[in-house]
Amino acid sequence: MIKGYAGRVLEVDLRARSFFFAPLDEETARLYIGGKGYGTRLLYDRTPAGIDPLGPENLLIFATGPLNGSVAPQSNRFAVICKSPLTGGIGNATCGGSFALGMKKAGIDVLIVKDRAERPLRLEIDGDRDAVEFLDAGDLWGKGTYATQKLLSRKHQHAVIGPAGENLVLFAGIVSNERIAGRTGVGAVMGSKLLKAVSVRGSRKLDMEDPEKFKAYTKEVRKLFEDHPVLGESMRRFGTGGIVNTTNGRNILPTRNFQKGHFERAMDLSGEFLEDHGLKGVKTSCIHCPVTCGRDVEVEGVGVVKGPEYETLALMGSNLEIGDIKKVAEWNYHADDLGMDTISLGATLSFAMELVERGMLDANLHFGEQAGVTELIQDIGHRRGLGAELADGTKRLAAKYGGSEFAMHVKGLELSAYDPRGSFAQGVEYATTNRGGCHVQGASMYMESVGPLTINPQNLKLKADIPIMQQNIACAINSMVLCIFTTYGMIPKAVHEMNPSSFKYRALAFAFENLPGALLRGAMGIKGKPMLWFEKWLTYITGTTFSSGHLQEIGARIFNLERMYNLREGLTSADDTLPPRILHESTFPGMDSGHPLHLLLPSYYKKRGWSADGVPLRRTLERLQVRV
Amino acid sequence: MPVAVQLTYAMAKELGAQRLEFEGAQTVADVLRMTRERFAGAPARYDELTRVAAVAVNGVLVNYQRGMKTPVRDGDTVAFVKAAAGG
Repeated sequence: MIKGYAGRVLEVDLRARSFFFAPLDEETARLYIGGKGYGTRLLYDRTPAGIDPLGPENLLIFATGPLNGSVAPQSNRFAVICKSPLTGGIGNATCGGSFALGMKKAGIDVLIVKDRAERPLRLEIDGDRDAVEFLDAGDLWGKGTYATQKLLSRKHQHAVIGPAGENLVLFAGIVSNERIAGRTGVGAVMGSKLLKAVSVRGSRKLDMEDPEKFKAYTKEVRKLFEDHPVLGESMRRFGTGGIVNTTNGRNILPTRNFQKGHFERAMDLSGEFLEDHGLKGVKTSCIHCPVTCGRDVEVEGVGVVKGPEYETLALMGSNLEIGDIKKVAEWNYHADDLGMDTISLGATLSFAMELVERGMLDANLHFGEQAGVTELIQDIGHRRGLGAELADGTKRLAAKYGGSEFAMHVKGLELSAYDPRGSFAQGVEYATTNRGGCHVQGASMYMESVGPLTINPQNLKLKADIPIMQQNIACAINSMVLCIFTTYGMIPKAVHEMNPSSFKYRALAFAFENLPGALLRGAMGIKGKPMLWFEKWLTYITGTTFSSGHLQEIGARIFNLERMYNLREGLTSADDTLPPRILHESTFPGMDSGHPLHLLLPSYYKKRGWSADGVPLRRTLERLQVRV
Repeated sequence: MPVAVQLTYAMAKELGAQRLEFEGAQTVADVLRMTRERFAGAPARYDELTRVAAVAVNGVLVNYQRGMKTPVRDGDTVAFVKAAAGG
């Protein structure tokens, strides 16, 4: 077995209450690494086209990668893969917490959950005894994710759902500790199987090729992260909320259901404000991560809860025109406890508010007003009243009430909190990302609108190239499985310390922006020596050389397989689009229209090696060894 | 309407105001000068707080416009923007 892997896949049949261990397929691991890549390959091969995402035929796959179980910073994440009930295409989400470590210690790389239980149950897995217990979960059914985890064994690591997953809320997630695999409705799939919780334990250690080099180098990287202006300073002090003032200043902070990109009260939602007014002094992190992007806040009447992250601050704050960070923290707590994705939840709430504003929906729900929102969040999680309709997400709500021109989703997945009208590459990424309108499948915005060295985000230069490179690397990162934040360390401290008005900075930005796309992609595609930390970690752990070129190729392989899955499930190039509001309404003075996707998409397809209608060419699939 | 200035959090804390407003500014340079003057007696503090901040007018960095000569009009928002990362 390749080093870095436990070497086992556990397959569980919930209806039959049976299980078996199978060897990990080394060829698949070589081609797809693990995590999202391995899981997507399994889903493609093991499920027929056209299945009901909430039916027993869907698989729920938990997958780790070779970095999990190591002490590498940002490496304790697992991926969940299934057919998405929200989009009808590929569904996946990754999550921090402790479950990934639990899986690896139990000697399990991948857990495949099949079929559907006859009544609510939970799994308890002991990797040391190779035992799986199918336990009744009737007493836990209906409980929140926090209460559920408290009631489970302290010796295990857990992945659980809350009432939202049980009630098949289409944007329900799966929770480990206080972290959530939020996107695409993976929690609803778990709920559809009547599976409340998976608990794992074991005492196995990760076997790596060169532990000495790994250990010494990891020490260096920890120091590098600690000294880094973003990972060691901004994220540590302010969490991801440190970006609120930046997106607000760049006019890309979603406000009033994306009617605007600037919110007057944004500062009150910022990570800096949180540090001044709400932090309890406890910063939290996933295991072995020095970044500590999480933080606790005290909310009156609720207690000390997880502080909201950027996406929540924007989608449930500015986008609803709510400038009260404590209230957003309270809603965030309820959403986590119910087990719901706050991006989709916030976007669906803002869409409903605009429907009400336009007289298309009769409800007591208004921009800028907190009244009724807490109750509605609970109603969504429990599918009660109007909440039952919002539980199906923005796309389906628009199908019933109208308003598709301002329904802010791509492929059914609600948009994240970077308005692409001020971030064109991010717009291309939203439109083409296989799971739908999400930012962490590439994070192109870091290169053009929020990071330390940004190109002009509102012209066409590199706007088809950056998403390709970023999507590829994100596919690889999500297969190791690492946190996407690790890529934020790629721009060195010296660049952060440059004055953006200086000649040196402007010359650097100009040179970057005017690089030919082919040259940039070509340079990234060179298969040489490992340079970056995640390339070196993979190399030291597995004994196989991974460089930027290797990871770009593997990432492209995973991305194209996801694409083939979506095409198989009936999605087409018509789904590679952005909400009409983004395409046709301007939020910038002097800008006549919205995002110029029509000018960029053909170029993106061509550079991907796809046909004009967005289908991967045979030679592209052969080159990447994508078997379909 | 005057020109509005969106400050960074640290600047706002220093000045005790989240936003400033100026009448009569013609260019970004005017706005920056007027903002600096608000740090009465401590212009060095302004220099320190803005050292790595970019400047945007209505969300567009002045680096992509006419730099400090970028004209401003009543109702515009000039923002000091620092690099950050989120998720």
